[in-house]
Amino acid sequence: MTGASRTIRVNTLARVEGEGSLYIKLVGERVADVKLKIYEPPRMFEAFLRGRHFLEAPDITARTCGICPIAYQMSAVHAIERALGIQIDPAVRLLRRLFYCGEWIESHTLHVYMLHAPDFLGYADVIGMARDHREVVEKALRLKKIGNRIVQLLGGREIHPISAAVGGFYKVPTKSQLRELAPDLEWALAASRETVQWTSTLEFPNFEQDYEFVALRHPTEYPFNEGRLVSSRGLDIDAAEYEDDFLESHVKHSNALHSVLRGRGSYLVGPMARFNLNFDKLPAVAQEAATQVGLRPPVKNPFRSIVVRAVELVFACAEALRVIQEYEAPSAACTEAPNRAGAGQAITEAPRGILYHRYTLDENGLILTAKIVPPTSQNQKRIEDDLREYASQLIAWPLDEATWKCEQAIRNYDPCISCATHFLKLRVERDEQP
Amino acid sequence: MLVSERLRELGLNAENHTGDPLSLLERWGADENVIVVDAIMTGAAAGTVRVWDRQLPHVSGGLAVSSHGFDIGKGIDLAQALNRLPARLRVYGIEGRQFERGASISPEVERAIESVVRQILGVGMGKEGVIK
Repeated sequence: MTGASRTIRVNTLARVEGEGSLYIKLVGERVADVKLKIYEPPRMFEAFLRGRHFLEAPDITARTCGICPIAYQMSAVHAIERALGIQIDPAVRLLRRLFYCGEWIESHTLHVYMLHAPDFLGYADVIGMARDHREVVEKALRLKKIGNRIVQLLGGREIHPISAAVGGFYKVPTKSQLRELAPDLEWALAASRETVQWTSTLEFPNFEQDYEFVALRHPTEYPFNEGRLVSSRGLDIDAAEYEDDFLESHVKHSNALHSVLRGRGSYLVGPMARFNLNFDKLPAVAQEAATQVGLRPPVKNPFRSIVVRAVELVFACAEALRVIQEYEAPSAACTEAPNRAGAGQAITEAPRGILYHRYTLDENGLILTAKIVPPTSQNQKRIEDDLREYASQLIAWPLDEATWKCEQAIRNYDPCISCATHFLKLRVERDEQP
Repeated sequence: MLVSERLRELGLNAENHTGDPLSLLERWGADENVIVVDAIMTGAAAGTVRVWDRQLPHVSGGLAVSSHGFDIGKGIDLAQALNRLPARLRVYGIEGRQFERGASISPEVERAIESVVRQILGVGMGKEGVIK
């Protein structure tokens, strides 16, 4: 092949949340151009928040995403609590971990079984897969339902939960209500371990990259809501320093901002980053599940992220059971959150990676500015970098198969485009009337 | 939601659902008689009611804004693949006109809601099509 030109084009990406497309131009044996185009319109959440009272932020930001609303609520409440200088009850802190477990179980189950597995098994979607692998899909539905139950109990409803509040929750469950979840979670823990085994038998392309992994790291826990932000190349910062090290920029082909590490470029957030940087903080049951299938850090093949997600399912089920065991209802569901001027930042671990929020408040508790950097914005440049490398391996493949493989490479990241297009950069040019 | 409110006022067992077709599917039993009502946007006149039995038409890009491409149509397809489709499943789609937050219900849609409620009370599970 000499200078012949071919184009891989996917006009509408399937099995991702939101609307995006892919364009790859191959010239001869060279990848000339890669564009992950996010054309879903901007959704302006940061602008919606301005002028609203901080108490509204958890409910407004939860509307960013139907898959990871809890991540938005958690980053919002932690950032605002920091701005207000308030401490939460230790029992509330435990409940927030359980809340996040529910979301991870829902989201990881959906992605592992319904969205990503069909790629590996050669099905166009989970409907085709269900005809041949009915028991597998039935298991996935039951697992996801258990995540839904946790979210419903703590959040008041399964989608766009409404109980999370600055200072705690509007309503907390009783100990016996939590205990009722335990039998289902015991089943889910066993099913998650089977999921690790099952995903490890899939066939993975031989593709590894030299990533800079970025995730939270906590002294004693696998991260959800707290910790310093660390990377595999020495980054170690507090959430308040995030904007010193990370830069968002607009690219012409995307309605989502690209985030890069200043002076370093793209980086990877999400399950692989958490696993590689926090393997020692996983409970023994999750470490064993991983090592039994030969999965040890550092995992550098993004296609193996499906196995890592399954390991995180084991973690989420085990952690949920631990919380249920230790939980004693707090004396008050919510710590009082008085109006006060201030600024606060927080980073929490959404299922698909770190989610940064920053708020400034006036003395009446009204939001002056808000900044949100979702995980898909952070991974977007990294996805393009992966595609640039991966597409070069596919030069000789038939176009339809190469296209499918490139779509699968995008789904490695479980991108949430609806989250990523929350911003609005508005430039007004006005001609003065003579 | 408005249809289910009206049905509950009339003493029927009707519930609101969050919209996740996967959890909707978990509620269906094989021997049940299930009726799903949702707003649709096909470009038809506001208040047009469409009725489908046990299957929705396949529309490029999906029938609705959905989570990771899962809409009610795919939920039904998945239920079918898993042999979980209820014995009787009817879907009513009411064409909306104003989907903005806080927008009021148009008179055409209000009339359509009453029409669907009457249909459900009559449970005339006839041929699928369009109710005028």
